[in-house]
Amino acid sequence: MTLQPEDFWSFSEWLMRPQSFLESALLQGIVLVVLAILLGLLLGYLVSAVRYGPSEGFYAVARAVRDLVRSDLPGTSARRIFALARLAYKEAIRRRVLVVVGLFVVGLLFAGWYLDPRSSNPAELYISFVLTATNFLILFLALFISTFSLPADIKSRTIYTIVTKPVRATEIVLGRMIGFVAVGTVMLVPMAIASYFFVTRGLRHDHEVVDIKDLGDGRFTGKLSYDQFHEHTFTMDAPAAPGEPALGTTDSVRGHRHVVRKMNDQFVVGEPVGALRARIPSYGTLAFTDRSGNIDTKGIDVGNEKERGGYGNAGVSRLVGVTGESNRLDYGYMEGGTLGSAIYTFYNVTPSRFPQEDGIPMEMALRAFRTIKGDIVSGLNGSITMRNPDDPKIESNPIPFVVQEYDVAEETLPRTIEGNDGNAVRVLDLFEDLVSDDGRLEVVIRCVDRQQYLGTTVSSVYLRPAESSFAWNLAKSYISIWLQMVMVIAFGVMFSTFLSGPVALVATFACVLLGFMAEQVYDMRYHLDRGEDMGGGPIESMVRMVRQDAMTTELDVDAVAGKIIKTIDAAIVYSLDAIATSLPNLPKMVGTAEYAASGYDIFNSLLARHAVATFGYVIIAFLIGYFFLKTREIAA
Amino acid sequence: MSALIDYCYRSCPVYSLCLRWVVPVASDTTALADAPDAAPASSPQSDVVIETRNLSKIYRDFWGRRKVAALKSLDIEVRKGEIFGLLGPNGSGKSTTIKLILGLLFPTSGRVLVFDQDATETSKNERIGYLPEESYLYKFLTTDETLDFYGRLFDLSGAERKRRIDELVNLVGLQGARHRQLREYSKGMTRRVGLAQALINDPDLILLDEPTTGLDPIGTRDMKDLILSLRDQGKTILLCSHQLSDVQDVCDRVAILHQGELKELGKVSELLKVQDVTEVHARGLSDAAKTEIAEVIRRHGGTVESIDNPTTTMEDLFLNIVRESERRPGARRVSATEATIEKVASGSEGKS
Repeated sequence: MTLQPEDFWSFSEWLMRPQSFLESALLQGIVLVVLAILLGLLLGYLVSAVRYGPSEGFYAVARAVRDLVRSDLPGTSARRIFALARLAYKEAIRRRVLVVVGLFVVGLLFAGWYLDPRSSNPAELYISFVLTATNFLILFLALFISTFSLPADIKSRTIYTIVTKPVRATEIVLGRMIGFVAVGTVMLVPMAIASYFFVTRGLRHDHEVVDIKDLGDGRFTGKLSYDQFHEHTFTMDAPAAPGEPALGTTDSVRGHRHVVRKMNDQFVVGEPVGALRARIPSYGTLAFTDRSGNIDTKGIDVGNEKERGGYGNAGVSRLVGVTGESNRLDYGYMEGGTLGSAIYTFYNVTPSRFPQEDGIPMEMALRAFRTIKGDIVSGLNGSITMRNPDDPKIESNPIPFVVQEYDVAEETLPRTIEGNDGNAVRVLDLFEDLVSDDGRLEVVIRCVDRQQYLGTTVSSVYLRPAESSFAWNLAKSYISIWLQMVMVIAFGVMFSTFLSGPVALVATFACVLLGFMAEQVYDMRYHLDRGEDMGGGPIESMVRMVRQDAMTTELDVDAVAGKIIKTIDAAIVYSLDAIATSLPNLPKMVGTAEYAASGYDIFNSLLARHAVATFGYVIIAFLIGYFFLKTREIAA
Repeated sequence: MSALIDYCYRSCPVYSLCLRWVVPVASDTTALADAPDAAPASSPQSDVVIETRNLSKIYRDFWGRRKVAALKSLDIEVRKGEIFGLLGPNGSGKSTTIKLILGLLFPTSGRVLVFDQDATETSKNERIGYLPEESYLYKFLTTDETLDFYGRLFDLSGAERKRRIDELVNLVGLQGARHRQLREYSKGMTRRVGLAQALINDPDLILLDEPTTGLDPIGTRDMKDLILSLRDQGKTILLCSHQLSDVQDVCDRVAILHQGELKELGKVSELLKVQDVTEVHARGLSDAAKTEIAEVIRRHGGTVESIDNPTTTMEDLFLNIVRESERRPGARRVSATEATIEKVASGSEGKS
C-alpha cells in the first residue's frame, strides 16, 4: 500500500490547506454549494419561464426560495420525517431486500473454495474480498432502493395522499434519505458481523508438532506439520520459572506465527497470531541524498515508476488551471555502495509514546531494484543509522538488515547502541543522545550492495507506537462503506425527485462511475492542456480506433474536420472534468478497505474527512431534491 | 429567528414583486362580486372556504407544447358547511379542478384560494381531508399502520392518533381487518381505509373524488349518509362524481362542467325543479277519483301528462332485500318479488 500525499493530511490540513487554499476541501465545498444554488436557480427559472412565462417563472422560483427559508425549513417536523423514514424502511423490508443479506452469507459460505489458500498473505486476500464484496453489493443496493421508490409513488399516485397532508418537500426528501440509510444500515451490520467471523474463522488453522530437537537446558527447536499449504519451525526457551509452561514461537509464514507451549511433556500449538493486525504507524518526512551525498527531494527514478494520477487532491486549483501536474507519490531509489541514502525524520519520539524496553518498533516495506544479478539467493543488504537532527555528528553505528521484498520487515531501534557522539565512540542512549530536545529523530537508510538500488516512499518506513484492534479497524472500514452508501442514497433520492426510476438509476450510476473514473478524466485534460497527442477525447479516439491509427500520431483527417473534432472533444473533456471534480471522491473512500487489508489502522482523520465530505454532499443533494420536488407539479 | 428572516425578507425589493404571487389579496372583492353564482348574496365573505378566480389549466407536453386546455376560466366559490358537487362527463375538468385546489397542479392562469391561502401553501393541508379517486394507499401497510402513518403526517401525538384510529376504524366498519395488509383488501374495503385516512385530522374541508366508485349499494348508502352527517357537523365538502344520483342525493349546490367550461352552477333543489309541472302525491284513491281529478285539471286548463303509481329506486329495492335477508338469514324470497315491491313502495312513499 503506497500512501499518497493527501493521505498524510490531518483533518484541518485537508479542510483548509494552509499553504494553498485553492486546494482546500472547504473552498471546493463552498464553490460546489454556490454553483449548485446558482445553477439550480437558473435552471429552475428557465424551466418555469418556458412553462409559465418569464415573469411568472420568476415568481415560481422566488416562491420556492422564500418557502424554504420562511416556512419549509422552520416548519420541518421530526415526527413527519420519522414517519416518512419509517415508511420507506418498511417498504424496502417488506419488499424483502433483506434477501440480499442471505445471498451475501451464502456467497461467503462458498467463497472459501475460491480464495487461494496458497496465497502469501491470506489475511489480506480474505479481508479485501469481504470488504470489496460488501462494498459493491451495498452500493448497488443503495442505488436500486433509493432511485425507484419516489418515482414509483408518483407513478402509482400514492404520493397524492402524502402531499395533500401538511408534509413539506424537505420532509419527503429527508424522510426517504433517512429511511433508506436505515435499511442499508440494517443490512450492513449483519454483513459486517458475518465478514468478521468469516475472516477470523477462515484464517484459523492447526498444526501438529512433528519434529522436536532437544537443545539441552530445557530449550527445544522443532517443526510443525504441513497444513493449509505451509509449515513452521519453532524455537522454545526454558520456562521463566519452574512450574510455569515453557513458551516458544514459530517463524512468521504467510503473515502469522503460532505460539507453542510445553505442558507436562506435551507440545501444544496455539492459534495463528499476527495475521489480523491494525498497526498504527507514525510517519516521518523523507529526503534523499544522491550518490555524492547532496540532498535531493525525489530519489532516483529507476523507470516505470511514474504512473499517472494523483490529480484529484489539487481541488479547485487544478480545475481553474493553477496546477495541472500529476501529484502522485512514487518510489524513489538510492544507489547502493555510494553516499546515496534515504533520510527519514520522525517527530514526537518520546519515551512516553514508546515505552517498550528493548527499543522503538520500526517497520519497513522497501523495494529492491537490481542492475546486476549478483547474489540472487539472499536479499539485498541495507543499513539503518540513527542520527540526531540537531547535531548530525552524533550518530549510531549502522544496523545491518536484509531487504524482505513484498513484505513488511519489523525492526527494532534499540534503546542503547554503540555510536559516535562527535568526539568519541561510546554507547549512546536513544532518547538522551540521538533524539533531539523537541523529540525528533533521523533514521538514515542506505543500500550496501554496489550497483543495486533500494526504493522507498514516505509511507514505506514508519515507527509503530501502538497497535489498534483488528475488529475496530474492520468496523472503521465498514463505517467507510456506510458513508459511501449514504452518499449514493442521497444522490439517488435527489435524482428520483425529478427523473423516472430507471433514468434516476442511470444518472446516479453515471455519477458513481464518473467519480471512479475521475483520475482518467483529469489525465485526459492534462494532455489536452499540454497539447499532447495521447489519443484525444472521446470522438478523436473513436476516429483513431476506426482508422486504426496509433495513439500518439497526429490525427490524420483534413484540417477543418480535425478542428471540429478537437473542439467538440475539448468541450466534452472540460465539462466532464468540471463534473468529475464536483463529484465525491468515491475511489478514495473505497480505498480505505486497503488499509484494513494491509493491516494498517485507518486514520481517524481520514474517516472524519470522508464523513464531513459525505455530510456536505448530502446537504447539496437535499437542497437540489427539495427544489425540484417543490417546483414539480406532482399530478402532471 | 423566524422574525429575523421575516424582516430580511420584507426589506428585500423582490418581496413586493413576490407579494402579488404568494400572498392572498383579501381586499380584492371585484372577483367575488363578478362570480356568476346563484348563492345568496348575504353570505359573509369569511364563509368562503374555496374560491377559484379565473382558473385555467392547460396541459403541456415535455417540450412545452400546448396539448389540451383542461379548464377554462373557472370561477366558483364553496362556502362553509355546504356540500358542493362538481359534475361532468369524463374529461370535463372535475379532477383537474380538485387537483388544482389541492396544489397537486399549478394553475396556468388565475388562482385558487383555500381558507384564504394560496392552494400551493402546505399549511392549508392541516384542515383538509382528501379521498383520491382511487385509494392510492401503501399496499404493504395494514389499516392501523396506514392510519397511524397519516396521523403522524399531521403531527398528532401518540394518544391522539390511537383515539382517532379507533374512532375511524369503527366509523368505516373495518374492525375485523385492522391488522391485515391492504393488498388483501377488496376494492370497497380499500375505499373505506381511504376515507378513514382522509378524516384522520378531523378536517374542516373534505375533498372527495368519486367517493362512491367501487362501493356496493350498501357502501354507497353508508358513504352518502356519512357525507350528510359530516355536513351536519359543520364541515364543508366538495365532491366530484359522475354518479348523478349520488350528487342529487347529497349535494346542496352543484357546478356542471363540460370540456373544461362551467355550464351550470346553483342549488340542486332549484336546478332540478321543473317550473311548469305540478306533482301531487296521494294514497288510497279509487280509479273513479283519479278520473275525476284528471277532469278537474282539464277544467282548469292544465294538461294531464300521467296519473300513475310511482316506482321506487333500484337502490331502495336492493337495500330492503339485503336488510330483510339480514333480519331472517336463510329465508327464501324467490317468488316474493311482487309482494316485496308492494311493500317497499308502501314503506318508502316519502322517497319517490
